[in-house]
Amino acid sequence: MSIIYVLIPLAVIIIALAIAVFFWAVKSKQFEDLDRQGYNILFDDDLSAEEKKLADERKKRNE
Amino acid sequence: MSTTCFHCGQANPAETPFTVTLLGERRELCCPGCEAVATAIKENGLEDYYQFRTEKAAKGDASILASLDALSVYDDPALQEDFVYQTDDIKQIQLTIEGITCAACGWLIEKQLSRVSGIQQVAVNVGERRALVSWQASNITLSLILKTLQKIGYKALPFEPDEHEKSFKAENNRFLKRLGLAGLMTMQVMMLMAALYFDWFGNIDQDTKQYFYWVSLVLTTPVVFYSGSVFYIGALKALSARSVNMDVPISIAVLATFFAGVKSTVLAQGEAYFESICMFIFLLLLSRYLEHSSRHRAATISANLQQFVPVTANILDETNTPIRGLAKSLRPGQHVLVKAGETIPVDGIIIEGAADIDESMLTGEFEPVNKQVGDTAYGGTINRVGNVIIKVEKTLKEALVNQIIRIQTTAMAGKPKAAQMADIFSQYFVVAVLLIALSSYLYWTIQGSEQAFWIAIAVLVATCPCALGLATPSALTCAMAKLNKNGILLKRAEALEQVNSIDLIALDKTGTLTEGKFILHHTWITEDVSLEQACRVAATLESRSEHPIANAFISEELLALNNFKVTPGYGVSGDIDGKHYKIGSATFTSAHHCGFPKQANVFLQRNDVCIAAFEVTDKLKSDVAETLRLLDQRLIILSGDQLKQVQHVAREVGITEYYGGHTPEQKYQLVQSFQQQGHKVMMLGDGINDTPVLASSHVSVAVGNATDVAKSTADVILLKDKINLLPQLFRVSRQTRKIIRQNIMWAVGYNLCILPFAVSGLLSPWMAVIGMSLSSIIVVTNSTRILK
Repeated sequence: MSIIYVLIPLAVIIIALAIAVFFWAVKSKQFEDLDRQGYNILFDDDLSAEEKKLADERKKRNE
Repeated sequence: MSTTCFHCGQANPAETPFTVTLLGERRELCCPGCEAVATAIKENGLEDYYQFRTEKAAKGDASILASLDALSVYDDPALQEDFVYQTDDIKQIQLTIEGITCAACGWLIEKQLSRVSGIQQVAVNVGERRALVSWQASNITLSLILKTLQKIGYKALPFEPDEHEKSFKAENNRFLKRLGLAGLMTMQVMMLMAALYFDWFGNIDQDTKQYFYWVSLVLTTPVVFYSGSVFYIGALKALSARSVNMDVPISIAVLATFFAGVKSTVLAQGEAYFESICMFIFLLLLSRYLEHSSRHRAATISANLQQFVPVTANILDETNTPIRGLAKSLRPGQHVLVKAGETIPVDGIIIEGAADIDESMLTGEFEPVNKQVGDTAYGGTINRVGNVIIKVEKTLKEALVNQIIRIQTTAMAGKPKAAQMADIFSQYFVVAVLLIALSSYLYWTIQGSEQAFWIAIAVLVATCPCALGLATPSALTCAMAKLNKNGILLKRAEALEQVNSIDLIALDKTGTLTEGKFILHHTWITEDVSLEQACRVAATLESRSEHPIANAFISEELLALNNFKVTPGYGVSGDIDGKHYKIGSATFTSAHHCGFPKQANVFLQRNDVCIAAFEVTDKLKSDVAETLRLLDQRLIILSGDQLKQVQHVAREVGITEYYGGHTPEQKYQLVQSFQQQGHKVMMLGDGINDTPVLASSHVSVAVGNATDVAKSTADVILLKDKINLLPQLFRVSRQTRKIIRQNIMWAVGYNLCILPFAVSGLLSPWMAVIGMSLSSIIVVTNSTRILK
């Protein structure tokens, strides 16, 4: 059971990191507009022209 | 043939000439405005917007597109001082954006702007309908940015959030951090302590247990001192004001449990309830955060209405050449040219020309008032016909519109407050809780029980009004979300509770019940003329007039017209087929000799003989009468318009009580006298003239097409310009009241039932915390029923 003397402090360090990341996210205003960001991933405008064509074809086939 | 507009979703005309090829298909649109916007979106290669969007766009407005040049006033450095932040060459501004309907709008705006050279950064906030833009001042002007946005259908205006909102936002962020920290730590501590609780076989040795306690202590400390600090500060504030609030027992329970835990950890004997502290703080913070953010959201949306709209003016210099300037820089004595269709910038005296001035925003009366040299023109009113030169009398700050806004502010201060019942109740409650906790501690100590301290803590936790605290805010948040989805914006959450007690609804006429547009209601003719002929002549004459009444006369076929002449304030005249015709008011024509019914208000005369009379009235909005029938409160109409017109509308919608010809001041006094008689008054209005009365009534509702001032005063804003949302508002508020009552009954009932167990020592602190959490979850779940 002595492994817990290593694992638990490790967990504490990870949680400290998670909190630091969370604070940074709040500070950089990532929680200001929760309506918007959820949709961003759906806008596949960041694809290159070639990939976009493929995506469109796939979409058509599915319809 | 598609029946609705591809861009905005409104009905298309039968044979729509407006089409744009979008996403590979020919799409039909409803109006030139939508066509222009859709074309601009396509030309910028942003067609994808139509694929991504989840809601139709706002309707394109062709008149805005035509007035793009007027935006150049925003480049004035004197004006920018107020809302643009500049560092070196980079300028930054916050804009409120009208027309954002879904997340894809945010994408569209960011894409469109990021293509403009000189733009540094764009961040759109869809929820708040705002954008933060920074740009290089040497590369691009602010007006160009606004123009770029208007071309794709969004009206953007500079905006400056007030101090109040800034502090609200900072507070919100602090809450989020505290909540996040408490949540993450609670999970960890819970994990460690669960291991101890489930150690039924006693396999965990003393060293491990001690180790777990120490780790938990380390993890709990930031929760107690950072996340929980809100409660200690609140408690200290209350104590220093010699009163008590809910924060007092919370602080005592948290700090006592924590230090007792520290003591047992250090001395390696006794018990510690670190996970209970963490969960307790987390749940309490959650309810505080919910309450705070529901208020925050309503406040932000209403703040958008206070956008910065500079009024411009044509100032005449020494040589009488007009120069475009800002109304706020006008000084008394300066001369200003106001053309037909323009807004009069400030209060002043007419020194040249005559004009028909629409003062509906001040008086509620939509028939323009004729003003001659020497008359006073008020800032904010609109010049309908004629060009005038005005000598500035007062600066913008002292203008009449501002005076009305000032009456409104005073009225707001005297607004009946929502009862402070809850606060008084909670004071007694807290005192009772503290006394019970103390007496059970003393009792068990005298009895010689070692558990006396933990019993007292269990009492404090068990009676903690966490569920009670959630009962109202969670229900209100759900109700606001539900109403918002249906086009009702609630600016003040407590208004929802007050809606229930309303027993008198006062309605404004123009713009609220009616559309504010004239229609031809009735026509009378003499034997000398056919009905068709009379209408055609009237339409021909009125086709040249710019008076709003002219829109009531429509004919497909117009006749040739000579010698057309306007007599401002009276009527128009002209020659048709060699005969001289006059159309206008009774005094303008010789109508009083003809014996037409007295409802008639426009008369047509041929060569000195009156041949026809018309009754022109404002058109009632559709389904007003049906909506009003659904309401069982006492209804009255309160209007600034002539009594005759008011009477007519009242009869049509079936209201027996009406008041006409009231000034804003009189309306305000009338509502006050109703309130003194013990009535709870709801006021529906739309104009600036309604704002004082809106501010003073118990609940005020602004109808969709209302002026910004009215919207900023109102508690409730109907986003559509119809009043048929009103029954829904009453329904949701009734349901909300029911849910709040259920929640409170449950919360209080639970606290009372658990109390005997806590006092008798059957309940250990961790059980009290779990019970409290379950009780909170039940309350929140109950509230979400409103959303369905």
